[in-house]
Amino acid sequence: MIPNAEALLKPLTIKGLTIRNRVMSTSHAPGYGKDGKPQERYQLYHAEKAKGGIGLTMFGGSSSVALDSPATPWAQISVADDSVIPYFQQFAERVHAHGAKLMIQLTHMGRRTKWDTEHWLPTISASARREPASRTIPRAMDKNDISRVVRAFAQAARRCKEGGLDGCEVSAAHGHLIDQFWSPSVNHRDDEYGGSLENRMRFGREVLEAMREATGGDYVIGIRMSGDEMLADGLSQQDCLEIAATYAKDGLVDFVNVIGGQARDEMSHAVSLPNMSFPVAPFLFLPSAIKREVEVPVFHAQRVTDLATGARAVAEGHVDMVAMTRAHIADPHLMRKLIEGRDDDIRQCVGAGYCIDRIYVGGDALCIQNAATGREATMPHVIAKADKARKVVVVGAGPGGLEAARVAAERGHSVVLFEKDDKPGGQINIAARATWREALSGIPRWLAAQVQKKGVDIRLGTEATDALILAEQPDVVILATGGLAHTGFVKGAERAVTTWDVLAGRVEPSGSVLLYDEIGGHNAASTAEVLARKGCLVEMATHDLQIGQEVGTTNKPIHLRELYKAGVILSPNMELIEIYPEGNRLVAALRNTMTDAEEERVVDHVVVDYGTLPVEGLFQSLRAGSVNDGETDLDALVAGRPQRWTGANGYALYRIGDAWTGRNIHAAIYDALRLCKDL
Amino acid sequence: MNAASALSLVIVALAILLAVEAVRVARRWHVGRPASVDWWAGLAAIPKRYLVDVHHVVARDPYAARMHALAAGGLLAGSALAVLGLVPPLAGSRWLWALAAIAFLVALAGGGMVGRRRYPTRPARLSGGAFQRLPLLLVGYFGGALLVALDAVLDLTGPLGWLGLVVASLGGFGLVRLLADGPMRHAFAGALHLAAHPRPGRFEGERATALIPADLDAPRLGVAVPADFAWNRLLGFDACIQCGRCEVACPAFAAGQPLNPKRLIQDLAGSFKDAPPAYRGSDYPQARPVAGVSGPERPIVGAGALIHPDTIWSCTTCRACVEECPMMIEHVDAIVDLRRFQTMELAAVPAGAIAPLSESRYAEEPGGRALAARTDFAAGLPLPLIAEKGSCDVLLWLGSGAYELRHGRTLRALVELLRRAGIDYAVLGPEERDCGDLARRLGDEATFADLARANIATLGRYRFNRILTADPHALHVLRNEYPAFGGHYEVVHHSALLDELAADGRLALAAAPDGRLTYHDPCYLGRYNGETDAPRRLLDRLGLERVEMERHGKRSMCCGGGGGAPVSDIAGERRIPDIRMAQARATGAKTVAVACPQCAAMLEGVTGDVAEVRDLAELVLAAVEAAVPQGAPR
Repeated sequence: MIPNAEALLKPLTIKGLTIRNRVMSTSHAPGYGKDGKPQERYQLYHAEKAKGGIGLTMFGGSSSVALDSPATPWAQISVADDSVIPYFQQFAERVHAHGAKLMIQLTHMGRRTKWDTEHWLPTISASARREPASRTIPRAMDKNDISRVVRAFAQAARRCKEGGLDGCEVSAAHGHLIDQFWSPSVNHRDDEYGGSLENRMRFGREVLEAMREATGGDYVIGIRMSGDEMLADGLSQQDCLEIAATYAKDGLVDFVNVIGGQARDEMSHAVSLPNMSFPVAPFLFLPSAIKREVEVPVFHAQRVTDLATGARAVAEGHVDMVAMTRAHIADPHLMRKLIEGRDDDIRQCVGAGYCIDRIYVGGDALCIQNAATGREATMPHVIAKADKARKVVVVGAGPGGLEAARVAAERGHSVVLFEKDDKPGGQINIAARATWREALSGIPRWLAAQVQKKGVDIRLGTEATDALILAEQPDVVILATGGLAHTGFVKGAERAVTTWDVLAGRVEPSGSVLLYDEIGGHNAASTAEVLARKGCLVEMATHDLQIGQEVGTTNKPIHLRELYKAGVILSPNMELIEIYPEGNRLVAALRNTMTDAEEERVVDHVVVDYGTLPVEGLFQSLRAGSVNDGETDLDALVAGRPQRWTGANGYALYRIGDAWTGRNIHAAIYDALRLCKDL
Repeated sequence: MNAASALSLVIVALAILLAVEAVRVARRWHVGRPASVDWWAGLAAIPKRYLVDVHHVVARDPYAARMHALAAGGLLAGSALAVLGLVPPLAGSRWLWALAAIAFLVALAGGGMVGRRRYPTRPARLSGGAFQRLPLLLVGYFGGALLVALDAVLDLTGPLGWLGLVVASLGGFGLVRLLADGPMRHAFAGALHLAAHPRPGRFEGERATALIPADLDAPRLGVAVPADFAWNRLLGFDACIQCGRCEVACPAFAAGQPLNPKRLIQDLAGSFKDAPPAYRGSDYPQARPVAGVSGPERPIVGAGALIHPDTIWSCTTCRACVEECPMMIEHVDAIVDLRRFQTMELAAVPAGAIAPLSESRYAEEPGGRALAARTDFAAGLPLPLIAEKGSCDVLLWLGSGAYELRHGRTLRALVELLRRAGIDYAVLGPEERDCGDLARRLGDEATFADLARANIATLGRYRFNRILTADPHALHVLRNEYPAFGGHYEVVHHSALLDELAADGRLALAAAPDGRLTYHDPCYLGRYNGETDAPRRLLDRLGLERVEMERHGKRSMCCGGGGGAPVSDIAGERRIPDIRMAQARATGAKTVAVACPQCAAMLEGVTGDVAEVRDLAELVLAAVEAAVPQGAPR
């Protein structure tokens, strides 16, 4: 049991709206919007949190109120016309059925969006200052623009109320239009909307007043804002305190939802959505300071990944509600587990940032470790018991194998899990050795604890063989044997070592190292950081356009920051073509992918990352004896239907994760869940 | 004169001596305060109280029951027959002496049993000293008298009859000497205790477990010196036979806390005497040094007195000692009387009890938590306030457990069950004050009385048919202790209500998950209220394998959570809940079902190899949910 749990379980009443506990999820953009509407997938995603006991769930991060703030970029919601109201009504009904409250975020993004989307309208802002993140140069708003957008906010608020939502917040954080007016880094106007802080607050004031007027004054309207922009020419903490205090004192807002920083460029964006390299709750001091100045409740989200931290934040009076948004993506049943005394069963967010990184490249938010999140229509968060108990053998206790064993055990099957290593975790055990990537170890830690709790027969230090597997007389055999790193196919590849060799400590390079990356993921970047910290002179080359090309926007800046600080030479657009010895050193030949010019590096070591190749031995030997010839019904797998083979006259054989083909943690876990949920 | 008639005369002489000693013993009780005793009814009821109520307790140890029946029955019958030998027509009657011989033979068998259980090794629960000499005296008196009787029947020649007379006289004299301050005191004081018992309701089929209100206008509150006890309480202490059954049952003793109910009663029995005999039983575990001075007007509790304060604060008020006592002694009443003086006159409570008592007084809640926060656990659940409804069928009394996460889960399950069963229920919400259980057990009668009156006034404003609670402590206080303050309610424990709802089909139950389960009786439900069947009936409806711990029902063992023991927190060598959980595990049960927030908290605090702790309401809700087809509306 966590300390201060009672602080989290105390209801909070705002203007007659009683929220059952102090834990919430903030509005975010999971990329589930369809045609600008929150449809079934979006609704089920939030309804699951409501079912899981959350007090308040807020959806629709950056839901737009006007046409020149397009909803397209993050597959978001448009509240710019009445057609959204029936969706809100259905949504509210779904969430209210489980006792939670539902709110939305409304915003005009101003310059923080794209003009080349559905409406092809110019972007607007307080002044014509380019935003680095969106690379947009806006038009400075005139009086007509201002009154139009103010009206749009008011109409949007009315739609929220008519849609049965319990309230809404306006976004004045992350550099949206209202805080573009506030921030001296954007607002250079010389009319009554610029200059003094009072003038810069005027636009936001007009928006909130109009929203109040349109909703009758008894509707809960809050604001999301920064507690300190942490930007040289931006809003100081003092400015933010004054804004919050003024708006609250004047009755414009019913709650203040505080973040730290802003998101105008790559690095500030990464800081505002702290990943696993940050301590937990790094910006809790900002809402805490605002709470001393305002009478309205204060909310806060930013890497509060565990309930103990959240409970402390509330118990000590720093905030009134603690938002655990990513924590709910990892486990939407967080609060229910706390209330039921099962807090040990909570799958804790590790801060990988996989969910948010996907949406900034146009994808949908998915959890690195919980494959059911965002797939509630087909994937269960609570696994139902199977009608018939079977014998399931899983080989490999990496994330995929552990998840397969967990789900099969939850189904009520008798499960044997073989792992040749002496501890579970698979490749995550290697990845977690790289400096700030350590938190990845939380993924197998939870899985292994669950597997143990569900009574899986775990055989560590046991390399599975045909005989061992068949001796169990299995109905189903699942191979999650993973993949192995290799040194690639260039001439002289045998002279290279892999990033695995470095992280696992099998080699300990010193001197100069050329690290060549053909994957673009975390692996090579974090290995480069490890090598540089050990004192090597490291050059990191890749044939991609940039270092860490596949790493998402909340993680890549952290990698780059660390690599720059460690003095790693970054060489994108370079392909490794040959390695050959020279004396007791190596020469790595590189080709510039744009010019074809070849260069040579004389180094002590060449370290490469070409990903993994599947470990296939068992598959080949077990295949002939299986009822399905090792085949997986892909249609059924994708549709979330049971596989055809029951294993009635022998065993069915399946491969999952990197044993099937090298991909990532989520792929392995999703393979396991969608295969095993119907076993 | 022959040996037989001489024996008759000796017995008469011993009887006279006995009467003198009895008067001396009885005079010592005179230092106590007066008590209203219905003498005629009490004396007339002695045979029934002895043969039914006392026997019911004694018979739990069949050996002891046989032993006592033979020794005591034989002693009384043999002695009476021998005295009849003085009546002229019967003098020298062979038939009379034949009967006496049989009686003494029976008694001798009893005396032999007394010896056999003490020699060669005396069990730890039995006292030594004079008690160890007792079988020798009994055998002497019975054996000698038997010889005399045989002599009279068979007309033996020689010195055998006279030898028997000498031995019987020595033995008999020795027994009479043990009346005032020895083992034989129990016979006299025990019989009178049955007649003048301070809780005569115990013999009328009542549980009679409610504490008796203290007179808050008295010049001295509670008991400071022996003379503050009512005289029949002092009589009760003198009735103790030091059988040690209480010692075996006491959870604090088992945990190595400085409490031994047997030693405590002996200390109290010695407290009003200037030179009490030495105690030869097992001591208080980790006994604290005390001055050991006694006397009717000397303080009882204190390091400079007779009993260390840690002793009285170790008690969980579980009443296991009272339940086991064949002499019907009321240990808990005595402890609470002593606590009342310590708390109300000296404010000398254990450090951990200071805050709960002052919060009970000033915030009307021992945790000092806002009364309105009592319903926080239910946020999101329908929990109507009676203030808004005005009336309801079932008023749910939440208790202080509602503030705790663990019991909150139980209450959430209970509320959900009430909802599903279609019960018209409501709560007092912010109007519910603490029931006062903790304050009362800790001796703060004044705060208890204030809380009781305030709650009774609140309850008087609303109409409801009965009060439901999942807290046996609240149940006991509301059902049994509020009547003395004018509050009369029908109070039902959730185990009984849920059993009722399941019986009449308002809750449909499916088979619960498999696995062996054992039920831990809460003291305040089982012993205090006699309710041991409803929880078991309810559990049996869930279709699981229910096994019993060795100590169960009214003889169950406390979890350690009552009587303010968790806040007094007197250190022991072990923890009571650890002992209890080990007993639960010993049955092979995977789950231990509880029916009390204290039990849940105490047993859940056990670490290591533990059974899962589930309240009845949680188990029933799981069964009700299992009965609803998936996807069906709820």
